[in-house]
Amino acid sequence: MQLLDRSFDVSTVPVAGATLSAEALRGVEQFLYREARLLDERRFAEWLALWTEDGRYWVPRFHDQANPFEQISLFWEDKMLREVRVRRVENARNWSQQPLTRSAHLVGNITIEGLDAAGHLIVRSTLQLTEWRIEQRQLAGAVFHKLAATDDGGWKIVLKRVNLVNCDDVFANLEVFI
Amino acid sequence: MTLSNEALAAMVRPDSVHKHVYTDPEIFALEMERIYGQAWIYVGHESQVKKTGDYHTTRIGDQDVIMVRAADGKVHVVYNRCPHKGAKVVPEGDGCTGKFFRCPYHAWTFKLDGSHLSLPLKNGLEGTCYDPANPDFSMKAVARVDSYRGFVFASQSAAGPDLKTFLGGVASSIDNLCERSPVGEVEVAGGTFRVMQKSNWKVFYENLHDTMHARVTHESSFVAAREEAKEIGEMPFELLIMDGNGEPYEFWEKLELRAYHNGHGYMEGIFDPTAATRDPVSRDHFAVLTEAYGEEKARQIMGMNRHNTIIYGSGSPHTVFQQFRVIRPVSVDRTMIEIQTFRLKGAPDAVFDRALTYANLINSPSSNVMPDDVEVYKRCQEGNQTRGGDWVSLHRYLGTDQETPDGMVSTNGTSELPMRNQFAAWKQYMLNPPTQATPNQTASTEAGHAAA
Ligand code: FES
Ligand SMILES: [Fe+2]
Repeated sequence: MQLLDRSFDVSTVPVAGATLSAEALRGVEQFLYREARLLDERRFAEWLALWTEDGRYWVPRFHDQANPFEQISLFWEDKMLREVRVRRVENARNWSQQPLTRSAHLVGNITIEGLDAAGHLIVRSTLQLTEWRIEQRQLAGAVFHKLAATDDGGWKIVLKRVNLVNCDDVFANLEVFI
Repeated sequence: MTLSNEALAAMVRPDSVHKHVYTDPEIFALEMERIYGQAWIYVGHESQVKKTGDYHTTRIGDQDVIMVRAADGKVHVVYNRCPHKGAKVVPEGDGCTGKFFRCPYHAWTFKLDGSHLSLPLKNGLEGTCYDPANPDFSMKAVARVDSYRGFVFASQSAAGPDLKTFLGGVASSIDNLCERSPVGEVEVAGGTFRVMQKSNWKVFYENLHDTMHARVTHESSFVAAREEAKEIGEMPFELLIMDGNGEPYEFWEKLELRAYHNGHGYMEGIFDPTAATRDPVSRDHFAVLTEAYGEEKARQIMGMNRHNTIIYGSGSPHTVFQQFRVIRPVSVDRTMIEIQTFRLKGAPDAVFDRALTYANLINSPSSNVMPDDVEVYKRCQEGNQTRGGDWVSLHRYLGTDQETPDGMVSTNGTSELPMRNQFAAWKQYMLNPPTQATPNQTASTEAGHAAA
């Protein structure tokens, strides 16, 4: 089971520095803005394509959670589970998505943290997320992206970790990606 | 009080129940007094308070309580209230209070069983009734506390059946959960989820054994899992546990539903028990149990394949995947579910990995399965607010349930027996209010603690 593969590097602490040109930095920022926009516009097929084959999406249940293997997580998803979630929310009989969840992601404070052991770029940003489904909900937190450079000069997501400020809260359902 | 016993009794018919039981705040208040005020309610597991001074806050109905481990090794349950001005003594959550409780307002202190320890400037109370032995100066203990194999229950009523009698046949689910460990012990591990439902607490209990809803309510998730399985060419565990809801009606009809006294019961498993010899996790688990108990007993333990168990008023243990969904009523239309996962001591690590995966995929707020449940519960809550009719149907397979020595069993797995059984217990509680406990009972005697 891919989800239990403990060799997957979930650390967001850089092991080396990274220097990016102003243009490259702008490319990273645009990539994060585009990711947020695809979620807001529910363009899930395009969003799924932003990931590497073995990319992981993680929303820890605890502050400073070391890994998703010893403790529960609010989300811990590989490609297969991300696809299942998209299939479910797009199913015609998705009773809990009538009406749909609408969202506005505001991404800011983007900083380049450095590189991980495999040379992936670690990027930190702050997220303000307003969701609406019958009533409004605010979510916020720090987001860490680990990005792999692609041959055409773009990026793919290796890890997206969302540290919610209220990860230990009582939650209503979290149906779509944060 | 405007609701007479006659009015309450008339709300439960053999084949239906009046919608006001879900929507009337006055009935909710009565339930807090008559059900949660007397039944044994699960407060937590002993493993959540391992060392002296460890505490875990939770609720018994509408009451905030603290489960705490005292120096004598016993687990006590006390109301989270300081007798001085009424402040909550500890904040919500888990922690360690050390050798005693100390109120953050004026520093009155209490032993870990709640009894009075001290307060500053005692001379100011000279000439009053102040006396450390006077229960008015202690934190109040819940009337009765007992533990069944590490599962701590408390009752706010000094009278009534003991815990074992109360549990009756449903204790076998707790036994089975524990026996899945080769040393017979489990511990809460990996953290708990808390999920809010916008519906009355009874709606969730009824749903737990509602086999007719699975393939209707959960179409979006079992279809998603099946489509994905088709695309990747296999049906791994993560998808299998979503796929089960899509079984045809004939499958559900063959399942067995057990109903015990006091509203408890269980539903037969929906996953194939013979998988024990096929999948590697179950195979390793079986090997460890065989070593501990012998092959015959091991087969019997793993062959006891139950899906949701119901301990009415407390929640729903799941033995096969080591979960306990604790159901906490918040208000007439709000229910909080606290989801615990257990580690089977001495079992292979992969068994705990599987329990965590099940919790993450099925029980977490991000579950692909639960949102559709929570949505239909809310629709029941809202639909029952309309003037579109007064009764909720419990007719399915009425009159066919068979008596057993300790309860009843369905003749068809789609029977609404579990709901009828729950409302029989509901009526029993609601028409028989708890006898008034002796006022100001403290932890000094038998009350308020469980055996170590
Ligand atoms: S309220 Fe607790 S010491 Fe005053
Ligand atoms: Fe369901």
